Order: sequence, then structure tokens, then C-alpha cells
Amino acid sequence: MWRRYLRFWGPRAEADVDDELGFHIEMRAREYMERGMTPAEARRAATRRLGDVASARAECIAITSRRERRMTRTQVVDAFVHDVRYAFRTLGRQKGWTAVAIITLALGIGANTAVFSVVNALLLHPLPYPNADRMALVYQEPSEGNQTGMRMFINPQPSLVRLWRENARSFETIEPYLASDRALRATDGVISTVRAAMVLPSFAAFTGTRPVAGRAFTDADIAEDGRVMMLGEPFWRSRFGGDSSIIGKSITLDREPYTVIGVMPPGFRLPKLSEKVSDVWLPLDLRAKQRFEGGPLPGLSVIARLRPNVALATAAAELDSVYARSELSKGDHGDFRTRLASPSQIVDFRQSLVLLSGAVALVLLIACGNVAHLLLARTATRQRELAVRAALGASRIRIVRQLMTESVLLGAAGCLGGLLIGWIGLNALVAIRPDNLPELAEVRIERITLLVTAGLAALTSVAVGGLAALHAVRHSAHDGLKAGSIGVSQSRRQRRVRSLLVMSEMAVSTVLLVGATLLVRSMVHLQSIDPGFDQHGLYAVQIALPRETYTTRAARHTFVTDLADRVRRASGVSAVTVASGAPPGRSFMIGTLQLEGTPAPEAGQSGFVDFNSVQPDYFRTMGIRLLEGTTLTDTTAKSREAVVNVGFARKHWPGKSAVGRRFRVVYDGKEEWSTIVGVVADAALGGPTSEASTPMIYAPAIELFEPTLIVRAAPSADPMASVRAVIAQADPNLSPPTVSNIKDLMDRSIAGPRFTMVLLVVFTALALVLAAVGLYGVMAYSVAQQTREFGIRIALGATQSGIARSVLRRGVVLACAGAAAGIVGAFWGTRLLEQMLYGVGRSDLASFTIGALVLVITAVMACLVPMRRAVAVDPLVAIRAD
Amino acid sequence: MADAAVDFLKGTLDLMVLKTLSWAPAHGYGIARWIEQCTDDVLQVEEGSLYPALHKLEERGLIVAEWGVTEHNRRAKFYRLTTAGKKQLAASRDYWSRFAGAVFKVLETAPAAR
Repeated sequence: MWRRYLRFWGPRAEADVDDELGFHIEMRAREYMERGMTPAEARRAATRRLGDVASARAECIAITSRRERRMTRTQVVDAFVHDVRYAFRTLGRQKGWTAVAIITLALGIGANTAVFSVVNALLLHPLPYPNADRMALVYQEPSEGNQTGMRMFINPQPSLVRLWRENARSFETIEPYLASDRALRATDGVISTVRAAMVLPSFAAFTGTRPVAGRAFTDADIAEDGRVMMLGEPFWRSRFGGDSSIIGKSITLDREPYTVIGVMPPGFRLPKLSEKVSDVWLPLDLRAKQRFEGGPLPGLSVIARLRPNVALATAAAELDSVYARSELSKGDHGDFRTRLASPSQIVDFRQSLVLLSGAVALVLLIACGNVAHLLLARTATRQRELAVRAALGASRIRIVRQLMTESVLLGAAGCLGGLLIGWIGLNALVAIRPDNLPELAEVRIERITLLVTAGLAALTSVAVGGLAALHAVRHSAHDGLKAGSIGVSQSRRQRRVRSLLVMSEMAVSTVLLVGATLLVRSMVHLQSIDPGFDQHGLYAVQIALPRETYTTRAARHTFVTDLADRVRRASGVSAVTVASGAPPGRSFMIGTLQLEGTPAPEAGQSGFVDFNSVQPDYFRTMGIRLLEGTTLTDTTAKSREAVVNVGFARKHWPGKSAVGRRFRVVYDGKEEWSTIVGVVADAALGGPTSEASTPMIYAPAIELFEPTLIVRAAPSADPMASVRAVIAQADPNLSPPTVSNIKDLMDRSIAGPRFTMVLLVVFTALALVLAAVGLYGVMAYSVAQQTREFGIRIALGATQSGIARSVLRRGVVLACAGAAAGIVGAFWGTRLLEQMLYGVGRSDLASFTIGALVLVITAVMACLVPMRRAVAVDPLVAIRAD
Repeated sequence: MADAAVDFLKGTLDLMVLKTLSWAPAHGYGIARWIEQCTDDVLQVEEGSLYPALHKLEERGLIVAEWGVTEHNRRAKFYRLTTAGKKQLAASRDYWSRFAGAVFKVLETAPAAR
């Protein structure tokens, strides 16, 4: 009956019922034939007697198949319940083993959970808006591109943004914004600084938010040039106690009254994650040219939502062509190229996150290696049990399913543990976050993270369990029973697999060790670097001058230079100077450098040129040595003097003096020549990570729009209180100035790299510990397996040191082989962190040596206990055993 | 009313099947023949409902089926009474005896003297 073989899939019920009814008719027909009917008559009569065969058949089939389905279901559930119960029992019997396996998995998974939470928030969902996948930041670049090594955006003009909004078809919406600090005067006259953001009425729809109270901006507000204001909900709650009666009242910002019209929820926020939360919102008027004029590069930050299926490059090209066709292009806007960047491309921490994701993936790999080894070792000791089960009729599938159930249970426990560790890790990570990554504080473990964690756990348990199960079934059948406790051929093969596992772990650890050492050495370099100026006792004082009251460049500049004179007389101040910027930070001119005697650059060409506007006493105040010539002498508006750094002089006139030479920075085909009057030492003004020898131009500070005061304190004095008092006296309506210790800022500017380094070191340490545990496990296991061999060798007169050497040799050989493979891997892998290294090359010999050495030393330590155990073998006991 | 009649008949059939199987396992045809012979062919088993009834009894766990070979060397499905089936048989038989006795009493009793 071939049908029988199809019973699992095929129509068993139907065939059975047909057989049964067929038999009945046959028997009845035989009965009738015995009574004298012809065969044909008998068959007809028998069929008639049965009545409605079809409906009886259908009813029987329905009943039977219903019953079979129910039975199959119960069988499957029963088998599963049995497997799980059995797995629980086996795992529970070896509590220590189970704990080690679960903790190992949990560490590997937890590290990934923590890092993935950050990746998810910062890289995958950098914008808190609906349809964020179609959003792009819009900015411009000089025609030569950006070669500063920093992220530099040129923000488009309001008129250009307006043109884009009206003409560009690739976009659903284009949203400009502008954030600034404003002085808010309370009813009692106290002035405080608030963060104000200017946006268009359409921004509410863009963010998908509605006012919590009152109303949002309308086009009418803009058209009527309304002085209206919305409050951010957190600010509304903290400052006004969430009182709705504030709506309709007036608030004074920078001496101008604004009427509060509404309160917006936290989802109404600027796209830049590191941007502080906006306290108040003001309407942005793209027509009001005058309000932005007079500032340095008055431009707007822009974020846009593209139409579906429009490529970034296409959209950027459209923006450029819209500009080229317009009247605006005939003005003096220079030739900028418009760029669109998807938000994740410009996340500050991007490179580090990629690096750290790689690192935790490697940690998980090592954890998997360890658990695989644990499972292998255990299936080896369970060989006899499995063989007995196989002999008693358990199918291979049954045994594989049993082993898989165990590893999936381990995986599930590891997943839970991993979530816990991930949560703890994430909190720790948030707690030590650098200042420039405030968005880290908002990272949570989200549903997608849970899914990814569960997925990782499932993947690891299936991979690891599969390996062990495969190994088990391949051997259990033949040599499990007959070989007794020592399956010789199989133990050799297993030994090879185990060696390979532990060697891979060693290799992976080496890659991480080399990477971590490189970052540590880079950090040591950054912290010990001489910035080329005296950063101690130096303060930067930034004063937010309201555009409404200090309307001209001249007025602003004069206010600050006058202020500098007063500050100079304050107690505890040894020197004061005014510049366009203070370290750590770089400022640029847009244009193309042309040296006298070289051909003029092509029209429309532009780039970023490092540039700082300073007063003559800047170099003395900063402690930058003057090496040649003089400092700036002419500080009038007509001054055409310049000072350059050594890097500039060496680059353009190597081996010759730069003093007396002339250059100009051409923008839009114009600009006058400047004469170099002095050369100063290189200084890392951009912070420890910046290159001090980057060519740099210092020009006289004339009519600066936003001048910065740089104050040098007298030795062991803190003059900042008196400086604040002087400023408050000069203009009582100003919001308090931002005063920063430059040394602190310089240190903080490397907080990001330090954070990355700390995390990589932590993950490397974790990897190293796991790998050491792995090596220990392999060594301990093989020593246990070789107990009898050691016993015999000792009995035959082997010395203890000989035994010790042979154990240690195996461990060191494994470690060295792993380290060698790891070094090869590191040569390739350190490419990931090349751009994060300062003062060390990525193939730095010292780092590779240190990495390999640390690994081998750790490996030797991991071998010590197994070695001692091997030496302590008692030959009598060992030989008699088993 | 028609429904009640069908249920009544089905109940009877189940009972007779169980009783038949209480002697020995049998196939469907064997059960039908046995009932016919016991009642001297007075009760003709409705064969169209016999098989669904058997399958339902099997589903209820009162009987189990196994494929076996007949004395004529033919493959046939044999039904056997389970423990649950034996209990059910005992319960149903008591009920039926009392029921039949009651009906019989009604039929035999003459009206009381006027």
C-alpha cells in the first residue's frame, strides 16, 4: 500500500474511509452472492443497501481528519514541552556551566544592545520628525569644496531660500531656521539669556505638531510683520509654571515687546540634535532683508523634505539651476555649490559609532566562540548519554532538536541578561557622555532595539547550537558507546575545532587590542600636545550684542574695544585683546588665495582660507611667539597689513623670508593686496586635534560684527567676577556674557575622541577577558582529558617543569598563532580609525607590539591554573581512574 | 419532532455498536451482521449512518480502530472497545433498561377501573 507512506502529507483519512466502505460493500455483495445473486446484481444491491454512500463518506472523512489534526497538534506540543522540560533539567544540573554560558552571552549581547541603542537614535533616526527618511540638510560649499578637515557649511541667504521655496519642484517643503541667544527681560527687570529660534509658519506642519495651548504662527503674522512669539513647552512650564494666561501677554526680548500667542510641544524642535532646546519661537520673515544684514555671512540653516524617490544629487542640482536662472545670480553672492546631506551623514559621532559597532560585534563573536566551546565540551562529555539515546531509538532529528532547544534556552536567557546589561551599559555610557553629544542623554532602548537584541540572541543560539549539534550527531552514532570515555579519533577532531575557536578569539582580541592601543596613544598625544600658545589663565568672553540695539558693525566693534580698555583696568587682569574668535575654534575667509606674482584664480573660484582678525597685542596676550618682522601696526580701516604663521610662510616660500611679500584672498574677482609684516609661531588654535602648521592669516580687527574678548588673568587670579561686573556696568540691558576658560574648552574639545577611546578600551577589555576565559576553558578541558596521559608521563619520570612546559606551550602556541592572524587583521581593520588618530600612524609599530604583547601575557595567565592542575596530577589516581 | 426521532435512533445505534464490540473487536460489516442476526433480521442497520457513527465513537474515544486482516485474508478496519467505551456502555444500558421498562409498563398497564 504505497498510500501508507504518504500518510504524513497525503489524504490518509480519505483513503482509509474508501478502503473501509469498499470492504463493506464487498462483504455484503459476497453475502448476497451466497444467496444466489449474480456478482453484478449483488454489487448493485449491496451499494443500494448502504444508501447515500457519498454523504456517509464525506461525514466519516470530516470526523477522522478533524481527529487527526488534533492529534498531530498535541503530539507537537507534547514533544516541545518535553524538550523544554528536559533542557531545563540538563541546564539546571550543571548550574556553574549554565551560568558561565549565560553570562558570556549576556555580556556579548548587552554590549551590542547598548551600542545599537545609540546607533539607532543617532544614525538611524537622527531627526525626530515624520517622514524623516526623506529629509536632507541643505547647505552650500565653495567651488573648491571643503578642504578644512572640519564640517563647514555656508548657509544660504534668506532671499535664496525664498527663491528655492517658490521654484524648486524636488521638494515637498524647504524649512529655513535661525537660532540665537536673546536677552529676556523679566517684569522685575532681571535679564536672562534664552534660546530663540526663528521659523516659518509651515514648520509646525513639517514637525507634525500642534500647539499645546494658543495658536501657532500664521502667514498673516509674517505679512503684518507681527511681533508675536511662541513658547516651547519645557520653557513654558519651568518659567511660567504652565500657566495658560501667559497667552496674549507681552514679553520683552532684546528690548522689543513680543505678544505670546501659543505654546508648542517638545516635538516642535530644530533638526540639529546638538542644538539646545529652543525656549522661545519667533516668526522668520524671508523678505526682511535688513534684519540679517550686517552680520558675518548672514544665512539660514535649512532642512528640507524631498518628494518621494528624488535623489539628493538631483535635488541639489535643481536648487543650483533655480539660482542660476534667477536675478539673484547677478548679485555678488559668489559661486557656491549647493549640497544636500542626509542627516545621518553629518552626525558628529558617526565614525566613532561605526568603529564601536564593529568592536561590539567582535565582542559578541568572541562570546559566541566561548559558548560554542562550552557546548562542544559538554556534548563531548555527554557523548555516552546521546549514544544511549540514539541506541534506544531517538532519531538524529530528535537529538539535534534537543540540543538546539538547550542552546535556544541559553540564548533566551542570554537575551534577557543582555537587555539588562545593555540597559546598565547605556546608562553608564550616557553618564560619561561628552558635552558635545547632548543628544546621547535622550537615547532609550526602543522596540527596534529589543527586536535586534532578540534577533542577535536567536542568531547566536542557532549558530552556536547548530555547530554543537552537528558535531554531536556526527559522532554519537558510531563511537559514542564503544569508545568509552576517551573517543580518541573524535577527541582529536574536536580538539582541532576547539583550537581553531580559541585561536580566532585570540585573533579578534588582538585586532581590538591594537585598535585600542592606537586610540590610547593618540589620546596621550592629544593631552600632552603643546598648542603653541599659553592656554593657562586664558579666558574667552563672548558678549551677545542684540542686533536691534547694536545695528552697525562700527557700533558693535567700538563697544567691545571700549569694553576691552575697561576690562584691562579690572583687578586680576594682566592683558586683554579683541579678536574675531578664540580657541578652540577656527575662522575662515571665503575666497581663493593669490600670491603676488602668481596668476589670478579663475573667476567664481572659492574655498575656505584660515583667517583670524586680531588686535596688535593678540600674539602677546595669547603667548604666541613673534619669529620674524613685527606685529600688526596699522589698525585703521585702510590697513593692508597681515601677519602669517610659520606654516603659511614655509608652504609658500620655503627657505625664504615671508616678510614684505604680498598676497590677497580673491572673492568675486576683487580684493586688495595685503603685505606680510611678521611671521608668528604655529599654534593649534582649532584645538588639540587641529594641525598647528595649517597656513594661517592674521589681519587687523576692524569693525568686527561679533568680537570676542580674550582675557589673560594675572598669575593665580580669577578675574572673571570683576570682568562680568565691568560688562554689566557698560550696558545693563545685555544678557550675561559667556565666559569660558580656554584650557577647559581645549580639554573638552577632545572629550569626543576620549569618549570613543574609553568605550573602545572597555570593549577591548571585555573581549580580552572573554578570550582569556575561552583559552582557560580550552586548556582546562584538555588538561582534564589528558589526566591519564600526564599520570603516565609522571610515572615514567617526566619532571613537573616538563609537564608545565608542555601545557604552557600549547597555550602560547594558540595565543601566538591568534596574535599573528590578529595583526594581519589589524593592518586592515585599523583603517576604520585612521581619521581618529592624532600623532600616531595607523600602522604604528609600538601599538601593534603592545597589542600582541598584552594578548600573549593574558594568554599565559589564563594557562597558569590548568598548568598547575596538570603538574599536580597524582599518577596513581590518574592511571587507576576510569 | 423529526430531530428527536433521529437522535433517538442514533443513540440506539451507538448502544448496539458498543454492545456488539463488548464481545470482541469487529469491523463495520461484522457489526452490522451481528445486530441483524441477533434481532433475527428484525432490525436492519441503517448502513449509511453506521460508519459516521463508528467514526464519531472513535473520535469520542469510546472505541479505537486498527487495521487488521479478516479470516478471508482481506485487510479491514477493526474496532475495539476502550475502557471509556465500556463505562459508556454500562451507563447507557442501565438507562435503556429503565427507559424500555418504563415504556413497556405504559404499554402493558390497563387503565384503572372506572
